[in-house]
Amino acid sequence: MRLRVVLGLALVAAMLVPTATAAGVEDVSVAVAPERIATTLGGKFSFTSTISNDGATEARGLIAHLNVLSLRNGTYVDPEDWSTNRTRYLQPIAAGESTTITWRMQAVNDGDFGIYVAVLPEDGSPVPPVTGPTIHLDVAERKTLNAGGIVPLVLGIPAALGILALAVRLRRRG
Amino acid sequence: MTELVETRDRARGERSAPGWLVVLGQELRDLWLGGRGLVLSFAFSLLVGIIAYLVATNTDLNFLEQRESTSLTLQVAVAIGGMLTLLVAADAVSGERERGTLETLLLTPVSRRELATGKLLASLSLWFAAFIITVPYVWFLGNGVGIVDEALVAGLAVGTLVAVFLASLGLLVSCFAGSNRVSLSLSLFVLLALVAPTQLPAGAQQAWAGDLLLRVNPLTAGERYVSKIVVSGHDWSEDLSWLLSPVIGAVVFALAAILVGGRYIRLRGGVSG
Repeated sequence: MRLRVVLGLALVAAMLVPTATAAGVEDVSVAVAPERIATTLGGKFSFTSTISNDGATEARGLIAHLNVLSLRNGTYVDPEDWSTNRTRYLQPIAAGESTTITWRMQAVNDGDFGIYVAVLPEDGSPVPPVTGPTIHLDVAERKTLNAGGIVPLVLGIPAALGILALAVRLRRRG
Repeated sequence: MTELVETRDRARGERSAPGWLVVLGQELRDLWLGGRGLVLSFAFSLLVGIIAYLVATNTDLNFLEQRESTSLTLQVAVAIGGMLTLLVAADAVSGERERGTLETLLLTPVSRRELATGKLLASLSLWFAAFIITVPYVWFLGNGVGIVDEALVAGLAVGTLVAVFLASLGLLVSCFAGSNRVSLSLSLFVLLALVAPTQLPAGAQQAWAGDLLLRVNPLTAGERYVSKIVVSGHDWSEDLSWLLSPVIGAVVFALAAILVGGRYIRLRGGVSG
């Protein structure tokens, strides 16, 4: 009888104590700073994203992912070139707490770009990811290569060596 | 070596000059004034020029890809420059043997180690010529993205190590090879085997066995170091472990070529010379 009472109380207690299951990704919000960045081609820059757990339980099993895209048609963007570390697996965030991530990037194209951070659950459940505001990135053009200038080098150096080799050969024969 | 009597007389007349220096001078004259060095340099400049032209005229290159293009040009220069030294060194002894000039060379009052040292250093001159030819191309490609200095210093350091390694390898093979054809074909085969790991899929290169293979191979390790400096913008000291096998390869093979290979610079029965 006594054992039954104890087991019953244990069961009730277990039902009353909040479980340690993950808060849904919908309880999370993302903020970024700054929201506008201007740099030049090749420039390195960084920004932070703050992921807050607005729910009543601990948020765990979340992934933050960085993405970048061109806001103008015609510019191909390979996000891997812009940042080598675009996916972060987050530590659990307690209820009401937040975590801040610093993202370091390099501008490898010029033009107007949008950058955003999305947070999604690592269990792959079919819920929409939570995204932060778009960061507007303005990359000023900088001339890094004058393609036409290579022609004198490509023709001149072999020509000079060819003439030198010919002169040596003729001199040996003479 | 065509002016062997001149070498012997010079060696006897200039006893103050070390024997290897006399051999080096004669080999350099033979290589450069004989025209072979200039022809090889001409071919090298054509190849590097074509690669530089192709990457420079690609208008779709972004900032990072421009660094990769500079690295690619530099890596091709290191590999082909090293190959040139390998070819010249692989001909150094077996070629003399076949042309019938080795006997006269052995009669000069120069030790065989000094002969090997002089020939090794002379073959390295091709690498330095190749590097000088590469400088304008690297400057052109890397100037806009600010990596010229790093690229040239890394290229010179790695290229010299790789060239010493390959030239020593070629000289060793040349000392032991029965014919010049065997020496040249074996040296080229070894070079191809050294280059082959670069064609491994990215996944295989990142696995421990692939990573180890790239690290123990002086050619791939050296090229990876150049890439880390030029493309990834790493600090000099950050990836020094990648320079370990090029340094060890250069030192061990150079010593082996001079100390061991030098002892086998001799005439062979049935081979002219």
